[in-house]
Amino acid sequence: MSIRCVALVWLLGALTPSLAWADNPLIVEAALDREVAAPLLDAFEEAYPRIQLTFRDHSTLEVDARVADADDPPDVVISSAMPWQMSRVNEGYAQRLDSTAAREWPEWAKWRDEVFGFTFEPIVMAYRLDLSRHMMPPKTHADMHTLLTQHRETLRDKVATYSPSRSGVGYSLFQQDARYTTRFWDLVAAMGAADTNLEANTRAMLEGLSEGRYWLGYNLLGSYAMVWAQSHPEVIVQVPQDYSLVMMRMAFIHRDAPHPAAARAFLDFLLGREGQRVIAGETPLFSVRSDVEGPYTAQRLRDQVGERLYPIPLNASLLAFVDPSRRTAFMERWQREFHRLSHPAPDQSAAATESPIRPDALAAVRRPGYGVVLPTNDSPDDME
Amino acid sequence: MIEVEGSLKARLAVWLVVTVSALGVLLLVEAYFSSQRAAERAYDSQLEAAALTIAEAIQWEKGQPVVEIPSAALQILATRHQERVFYAVLDADGHTVSGNLDLGISPDWRRRVSSQPTWLNDSYHGTQWRLYGRELDSAGWETQDPVQIWVGHTMSGRDALTETLFEHAVTRFVIMVLLAGILMLLAMRVALAPMRRLRHQLRQRDADDMRPLEARVPEEMREMAETLDSLFTRQREGREALLRFTADASHQLKTPLAGLQTTSELALKSDSPDAWRQALTEVHGSAGRTSRLANQLLSLARLRHAVEASATSRIDAVALLHETAFDWAQRDASQAHDIGLAPLPASPQYIQGEVWALQELLGNLIDNALRYTPAGSVITLGAVNHAQTLELYIEDDGPGVSPEMLAHLHHPFERGGRQDTEGSGLGLAIVDSIVRRHEARMQVESAEKGGLRVRLLFPCLTRHEEG
Repeated sequence: MSIRCVALVWLLGALTPSLAWADNPLIVEAALDREVAAPLLDAFEEAYPRIQLTFRDHSTLEVDARVADADDPPDVVISSAMPWQMSRVNEGYAQRLDSTAAREWPEWAKWRDEVFGFTFEPIVMAYRLDLSRHMMPPKTHADMHTLLTQHRETLRDKVATYSPSRSGVGYSLFQQDARYTTRFWDLVAAMGAADTNLEANTRAMLEGLSEGRYWLGYNLLGSYAMVWAQSHPEVIVQVPQDYSLVMMRMAFIHRDAPHPAAARAFLDFLLGREGQRVIAGETPLFSVRSDVEGPYTAQRLRDQVGERLYPIPLNASLLAFVDPSRRTAFMERWQREFHRLSHPAPDQSAAATESPIRPDALAAVRRPGYGVVLPTNDSPDDME
Repeated sequence: MIEVEGSLKARLAVWLVVTVSALGVLLLVEAYFSSQRAAERAYDSQLEAAALTIAEAIQWEKGQPVVEIPSAALQILATRHQERVFYAVLDADGHTVSGNLDLGISPDWRRRVSSQPTWLNDSYHGTQWRLYGRELDSAGWETQDPVQIWVGHTMSGRDALTETLFEHAVTRFVIMVLLAGILMLLAMRVALAPMRRLRHQLRQRDADDMRPLEARVPEEMREMAETLDSLFTRQREGREALLRFTADASHQLKTPLAGLQTTSELALKSDSPDAWRQALTEVHGSAGRTSRLANQLLSLARLRHAVEASATSRIDAVALLHETAFDWAQRDASQAHDIGLAPLPASPQYIQGEVWALQELLGNLIDNALRYTPAGSVITLGAVNHAQTLELYIEDDGPGVSPEMLAHLHHPFERGGRQDTEGSGLGLAIVDSIVRRHEARMQVESAEKGGLRVRLLFPCLTRHEEG
C-alpha cells in the first residue's frame, strides 16, 4: 500500500464524522404557504439544529406530481388536497410512522399510522362590511341560499367561491357539501344565477373582498381568513352556524424517503407537543392536540363554534372524490346546476364563470393509467 | 432384588407430555388453518358487500356504463383495519370504466369471473392483496353488455384476526393442558392412595405376623393383594408345619431316649453281667431304631428343604420296581411276608427322576407295608401304563386304614391310628415329598382285598422326549 493511499484513507477517516455532522438533510415537499409555516419551521430547526431542512412550497398539483417522481422523491409530503394525499397513501407511497406521538394521535385524524392530519382548519364564509348595510349577513348555508335568491341582482358578480375544476381543495369541499344535503345544489344554482366568481385559492377571494370587488365569499379556508381579517377590518369572518367543514392538512413520510430518520423526526415534531404548540400559538393552522394551549386550537374553536364542526373524514371514503368517473359526474352536475338558473345563453361578461370541462381534462380523466387525476389547470392551484 | 426404575409419576408425566404434544401440534395446526379460514370468511364477505354496493351504483348512459363510486363501498373495503383498497369497474372488453390502482386484472381472471364470482390472492408491489370479482348483467337502452366489478384490499385485518383467533386457540389449549396436568397429578395421588395405604400397612406389620391382610383395595390391586395374602398363608402354613414337625420330631426322639435312659439306669443298678448284657442289647436295638428315626427325619428335612432341582435322569421305572422288590424280598425283615410282583409291562417304561429318591420311595412303601401288616400278609407291587401316566402301585391284604384316616396318612408322624408298630410315622411323609419332587401324584385307597393300596402316578416321557 502506497503512502498516498494510506494518507487518503486517513484523510477520509478524519473527514467522515464531520461530513455526517453537516450532511443531514431533509426535504419537505409541501402545499403550505412558507410564510404561514415559518414559525413552525423555525421551531423545528431550533429543536434539530443538525438537520438541514429544505422546505419546498408548491401547489397541491405539483406536490402530488412530486410524490410519484421516482428519481427524486421527497422525504415528507404535506398537502391540503386530502383526497389526493389519501390516494397516494393508498397507492403505497407512504411508510408507517411508529412512534409515541403517532400512536397517541387521535384516530379520526390519521390513517394506517401512515398519514396524519396535523391541522384543523375550519371552512368559513367571509363578507365585506358593505354587505351588512344592504342585508342581514348570512350565518348559515340556508341564509346564503336565501340571500342569493332574494338579492340576486344586488349580489350579481359580488360573490366568490372556489373553482371546483381549478382547485383540489375547493373540489373536495364541494364534494363534502354535496354529501351532506341535496339542497347544496340549490345553492350552486343560486350562485350560478348570481354570476358567482370562481377563484383558484382563498387569497384571491380575500384580496377581492378587501378591494371591494367581492362582498361575500363562500368556502374559504378559515385559517387564512382569520389572519386576514385581523389586518383587514373591512372583512368579517363567519363560521357557518349550521355546520362548518374542517379541513386537515395531511402529512406522510414518503416510502422511498432518502432521509427517513430526519423525516421521522420532522413528523414527530409536527405531531408532538412542541410542534402543535407552535401551530396553536404562532400559526393560524389550529392544532389538533387537546393538550396544547394557544389562540388556534381545535378545542378553542369547538368552544367558540360549538359542536357544529364537521371535519372531512380522514378515511377511505376520500378516495371516492378522486375517482375519475365520479369526478366527471360531479363536474357535469356542477356545470348543469351552475347554469340552471342563469341566462339561457352564457353571459360572456361574467369572465370568471366556470368554463365547461375542456376536452383535455376529459382525456385526462379517461386515461388508462388509473393515476390520480388532478384538476387540469395551468394557473397556480391553491395559495397554500 | 428390587430395582427402582423411574417413578410412576414421571412415567405418566412423560406419557402425558408426549401424547399432549403430538396431539397439540395437530390441534394447533388445525386451529391455525381454521382461524385463517374464519378470518377469510369474515373479510371476504366485506369484499362481497363492497362489490354489491358498487354494482348498485352502475348505470348506463349513452351506451356507456357509468359508475359513481359510493364512498360507503370504499369504507367497507378499507374495514376498520384501514386496509389499502382497490376497485375497478371493467366493461365487456376489459376496459376500465373506473378504478384506482392498476393491479392488472388478467384476461384469465376475467374469464373466471364471467362464469361465477371469484376470490383470489394477488401480489402487487410486494404487498399481498385479496381480490374479489363479480360480473353484473345490467341492461341499458342501447347496450346490454356485462360489467365486471373488481374490489380488493390488503390483508392486515385478516392477518390480525387470524392471529387473534389463533392466539385464543393456543391460550385455550395451554390452559387445558395445564388443567389436565394438575388433574392428572391429583388423580395419580388419589389412585395411588390404596397402594400407599397397603405399603403403610405392610411396613407396620411385625416380622412374624402372618395373618391375612385386612385392607380395602381397588379392583386393579385385588390380584396383588390376594397374591400377597396367599404368600402370607403359605408362609404361615410352612411355619406351622415346621413348628409341628419340630415338636413331633422332639417328641419322637424323646421316647426312645427316655427308654435308653431307663434301661441304662436299671443296668447300672444291677451287678449282674447278664443284666448288663441284656441292657446293652436293648440299648443297641433302641439306638438303632433311634438312629433310623434320625435318618428318616434328616432325609425328610432334606427332601423338603432341597428346592434346587438335583440331577435327574431317565429311569426305567419297571426295572427299578423289579430290582427294588427283589432286594427287599431277600432281606430278613421281609421273611415273614410274601412280597410279589404283579404282571409288569413288557417294554421299559421311562420316567424322569432321581434314582436314590425313587429307591427311597419304594423302600419306604415296602417298609411301611411290612410294618403295618401282620405276618403272612401278601404285598404286591405292580406297574400299569396308562396313556400319559405310568402307575406304580403297592398293595397289601392287611387290615387297611379307615377311610377318614386316608387323607392324613402322608402327614409326618401319622401312623394311621396304629400305635402297635415300631414305625415312626415318617414313611409316607417322605414318600409324599418325593412324589411332589417328581411332579407325580399319590393316591392312597383301600385295596379290593381289604388292605391298603398306594398308587403313584408318574408323568410318562413321550416318545419324542425319549428320543
